[in-house]
Amino acid sequence: MDEGSNITRRRALLAGGGTLLFGGGVAYAASRSGSNEQAYVPSNFHTSEETTGFGVELAGRPIVGEPDAPVDVYYWTDYLCPFCKEFERETLPDIGTDYVETGDVRVVFLSYPNIGEYSLPAAVWSRCVWDQVAETQPAAYWHWHESAFDAQSESGHDWADEETFAGITEETENVERSAVDDCRENRGDAVQESIDVDLQTGRSAGLQGTPGFVLYNREADVAGKMVGAHPYENFANAIDQIRDA
Amino acid sequence: MNGRADTDGRADPEGRTDPEGRAGADGRAGADGRRWLRAVGDAVAYPLTSNGRLLVAGVATAATYAVLVLSSFPQFSLQLLTNDPTDLPYALVTLTREAYLTTGWLGLALLTAYALLTGVAVTNAVTLVRRARRRSASTLVGVVPGLLAAGCASCGAGVLGALDFVGAMAALPFDGNLLRVGGILLLLFFLGRTGDPRTCAIQ
Repeated sequence: MDEGSNITRRRALLAGGGTLLFGGGVAYAASRSGSNEQAYVPSNFHTSEETTGFGVELAGRPIVGEPDAPVDVYYWTDYLCPFCKEFERETLPDIGTDYVETGDVRVVFLSYPNIGEYSLPAAVWSRCVWDQVAETQPAAYWHWHESAFDAQSESGHDWADEETFAGITEETENVERSAVDDCRENRGDAVQESIDVDLQTGRSAGLQGTPGFVLYNREADVAGKMVGAHPYENFANAIDQIRDA
Repeated sequence: MNGRADTDGRADPEGRTDPEGRAGADGRAGADGRRWLRAVGDAVAYPLTSNGRLLVAGVATAATYAVLVLSSFPQFSLQLLTNDPTDLPYALVTLTREAYLTTGWLGLALLTAYALLTGVAVTNAVTLVRRARRRSASTLVGVVPGLLAAGCASCGAGVLGALDFVGAMAALPFDGNLLRVGGILLLLFFLGRTGDPRTCAIQ
């Protein structure tokens, strides 16, 4: 072994530069914000009381797209999940434009509270908002949902509390706070039970975190699972495969 | 070799083993602390002593960071990389952003420090094991606790995710930052204990 090796200026500079580059790269990746944000509001929403062939209960769950779309995308989410926000900003608008609006896909929003203490209450807020606007002003749910993700702070979960969600509910047009509060107070337990059903269905599908997805061809009874905020191309390929199965 | 022969506080540099009074004990503790800090400095500088060692440290740092970040959401990482291994940069960038949004700048700084220290510890451990194998089995046994400490520290932050305890890090105090601080302290303990791995040390 070369026990007599010395610390040379060149190596010291190389190590210092490498360390700075490494730290700078990490900081750059961390501070990168979604530049592909685009406004997308679905043109079709619907409700259903069915349980799908995959075993997902649709009653009370927000559904985007045409009722007869050949592919179901079950999307398990958590309002405290930064990765879900990434998906909602970067990928969901493209899926909406290229697959939901064309009638190929409908997206079912399911709850998977797993990140923080307020994950479950946030999911209850969401269900109660949908319950209030589903028949008359379903787009209001979309705006509420977007505002809830926009409220995520840069770090930590302290932002998620009663006050924040109450504020979002009051500020969202066509959402009536008193009706939502009534739902939370009088039907909160039933809503929580249905959220628990979502959670169990997600776990049965093998999902261990959010965002989680199952793509399901209803006619062919073929399903595929995706976990995390994959790039759009991966979603597009997976949807194409399931649709053509 | 520089003849430094005290890493566990059993004798001071002057060879006194019977301290005289409280002031002497305090002074010796201070000297021990300074010696430990110097040893950490020697250990951290060791990868700079050859191009090969610097390369090992760099590769180990990058690999540790990748493993730690990817293991924060193993199901996603596995699915993405088995589908297309060239998506590794996407996975690293996305999960780095995720780590920042979950644990803040402090968590990310700890993660980076963790990877850098592991890079140094791996380089020094390789030297220690090589030396120990050339000397005797008993020396190798003396090195093992330090290697275990470094190994545990390296896997500590990632192992919970790798075992699929989803949300485990988030559920830990300070979103797992306490565990990361513990791992870094363990690594510093290992580095301070060994110092420059080319020098003599009584284990």
